[in-house]
This record gives sequence, structure tokens and C-alpha cells, in this order.
Amino acid sequence: MRLKQAGPGGMAGDPEAFEAFYRRHFDEVTRFLARRVDDPHTVADLVAEVFLAVIDSAHTYRPALGSETAWLYGVTRNTLLAERRRAARELQAGRRIAGRRLLEPDDVARLEERIDAEATAREALHAMGELPEGERALLELVVVDQLTLTEAASALGIRQGTARVRLHRARRWLRRAPGVVPPLVMEGLR
Amino acid sequence: MNGTFEDKLLSELKAQMAVRPSGEHIPARRRTGRRLLMAAGVVGVAAAAVVAVPWATGSGSPAYAVTKNADGSVTLTLREFRAPETVERDLAATGVRADIAYMPLGKRCDVSRYRPLAEDQANMPTKEEMESDDPAKRATVLQKLENRPSGKAVRLRDDITIYPRRIAPGWTLVIDIAENPRTPTADDPGVAWQFSAGLTDGPVRPCRLVDDPSAFRIGDATPPPGS
Repeated sequence: MRLKQAGPGGMAGDPEAFEAFYRRHFDEVTRFLARRVDDPHTVADLVAEVFLAVIDSAHTYRPALGSETAWLYGVTRNTLLAERRRAARELQAGRRIAGRRLLEPDDVARLEERIDAEATAREALHAMGELPEGERALLELVVVDQLTLTEAASALGIRQGTARVRLHRARRWLRRAPGVVPPLVMEGLR
Repeated sequence: MNGTFEDKLLSELKAQMAVRPSGEHIPARRRTGRRLLMAAGVVGVAAAAVVAVPWATGSGSPAYAVTKNADGSVTLTLREFRAPETVERDLAATGVRADIAYMPLGKRCDVSRYRPLAEDQANMPTKEEMESDDPAKRATVLQKLENRPSGKAVRLRDDITIYPRRIAPGWTLVIDIAENPRTPTADDPGVAWQFSAGLTDGPVRPCRLVDDPSAFRIGDATPPPGS
């Protein structure tokens, strides 16, 4: 174990350390997903998948490579990409925990509120859809998820220098995009 | 059930942690290089034939393979128990509608998962037959299991062989595999994983895990007759 207590590396077999991590990050993981998925049941499933992935891969966290948050965003992003690759048909079997089964009507309402609250962010993400993949992924993390450039680079597994260049290019592209850029997007670029 | 989604999910996640070996890192590639080795006795759970498979290593790298054979059968080779949906998709491409669930050894899906075919249920060996140590009786049990519709549709030898023509349109093949998170060794033998297959003409529901205390029984580790 590389890190005592504090980070994901130390919680592989420690329920208390995991609980602390879970409580610390539950909200941001839910918000990240609510910005990209507009169905509360799918969000619930994905939140469950993300934290299962955290349990499975806690040992891959290396403090030297970036913050806990950056690592978690990497895990969350991979989970979401895996979900998008999944066959279109409804597939709950094989999932170790189907998050949606844990939802009570109140929980659904709360998730829906959260999804609504992220509507602007979803529009912004939509507007970025035309950017090349590498630039878009970075821009998403920096301006929509509000990660630092260092964290975003580490979540995507790219070097800081590369990230800076991509962000610069993305920014130029956004300036040319006629009228589709919500204020939020520009704010993060100042 | 009380508590918010956040609380309930936390307790489910902790339950998942509890069934994993504490503190042990599970490298992503740990599960490569395993081959199915048919051995151990036949154990019965619900109306599906369950086979306990001891640990065996061999060569090979892809997580799984779906092969169509000249006789119309389909061979499923599993080396890693993950991404059941891609296995299902590849099976669907060969005309087999399957529903696969993986779980830790010591758990099984409860009866709400699916209703086995009536003919499977009717020809289930008795409890005494299943638990008998008499080789002749064990042979009878195996024969009985293999003569049921699900036994004719799926055979477990070195790999899993599926016979699509034995699966009527509208039926679903349900495969549940329970994997031991701890790697058994020669010094410390144990069941590596447990395989259960059944057919249903009804809906298949998500697996709801319940305890299966019999899962760690290793059996007598002798190949069943005919294999």
C-alpha cells in the first residue's frame, strides 16, 4: 500500500477509509455524470459502477501522478466511456450492483434536480461536440468539471505541456464558433 | 428500506468489499492464462446443473472466445470473468440469446432470476442422488442432467459447448458463474469457480445475490464419467 489512510491507495481492504473517500466524492461523481447523462436511473447505475471500479482499482492510484480527484475523474470517465460502448439493449445482468434498484422516489427526484441543474453544462458539452476528441476531453474537464489543468492532464493520462497546447487550440476554436458558446465555457478559459 | 441512495449504495459497496480478500490487490491481468478443467463433482442448486471447477492454469490470452463449429455448435472459452455483455453480444451473433452473470464464489442468484423450463425442473435429480458418493449413482445423476433440455443445449467439457438448435426461439440461456476471488493453489486447493446453466422460456431478471454456503465444497476432484 502506497498511501496510508488518506487516499484511494490505502483503502483497498479498509471499509472505513473507503467510506471516507466515498463521502468525500459522492457528490462530485454524481454531478459529473449528471452533466453527461440525463436519465436518473442510468446515473444511479453509473455511480455504483464508478465506486465499484474504485474498489477494484484503488491500487492503481499513484500520488506522484496526480491528485485523488484527478485519479477519480479518470476512473469516472472510463466508466462512462465503457457504458457508451455497451450494447444498446438494456443490460442489468452481470452488474454487481444495479444502482437503480436502490432508488426510492425521493432519490429519483433528487437526481432529476441535479440533472436539471446541470442543463447548461450539458449544452456546453454539446457545443464542444465538434472539437477533435483530445481537445474536447480536456476542455470538458477544465471548463465544465472545473478541474485544474494539472488534474485534467493527469485524469486523461497526458503530459501537462500537451494539455496546455490542446487547451490553447480548443480556445481558439471556441472563439470562432459563432454564438454557440455559453458564458460558462469562456469563463473557464480566462 | 430506509436511507438515501447515497447510504444504500455505500452499504452495498461495503458488502462487495467484504466478499473480496481484504487488502489484496487484484491486478487486472491476474485472470489470464486460465483454462477450464472439468473435474470435481456435480452439485445441484435450484434447477440448474452446477459444476465446481478447480483452479487450473494454461496458456492463452484473450478474455474469452466464441467459436462456431462445423456441426452447428458454438464453443465458448472463458478465461476472464468480466464484461459479460460483450460475451452475450458475441453469442447473440451466433444466434444464442444468453444472459450471463458473474458473482463471487459463495454467492448465487436467487430464484427470482428466471423460471427454468418445466421439463428441466421435472427431471431434476433428487437431493439424495445429488449428494451420493456412490460412483454409479453419480453417473446416473450426470446422465439425468445431460438428458434434460438444458443439458442437451449446453455441455461443459474443456470449454463450454452450446448447441443452438437445442434452444427454441424465445428461450434464453442463463449462465451464472461464481468465481473464487482467492486463487487456490496446489497446497491450498479450492474451487476456482462454479458454473451453472439453465434455459427459460420466460423473462430473465437481474441477478440478486444470496449466500450459497455449499459453494466452497471442492468435491472429489475426479472427472465425471464420459469426460
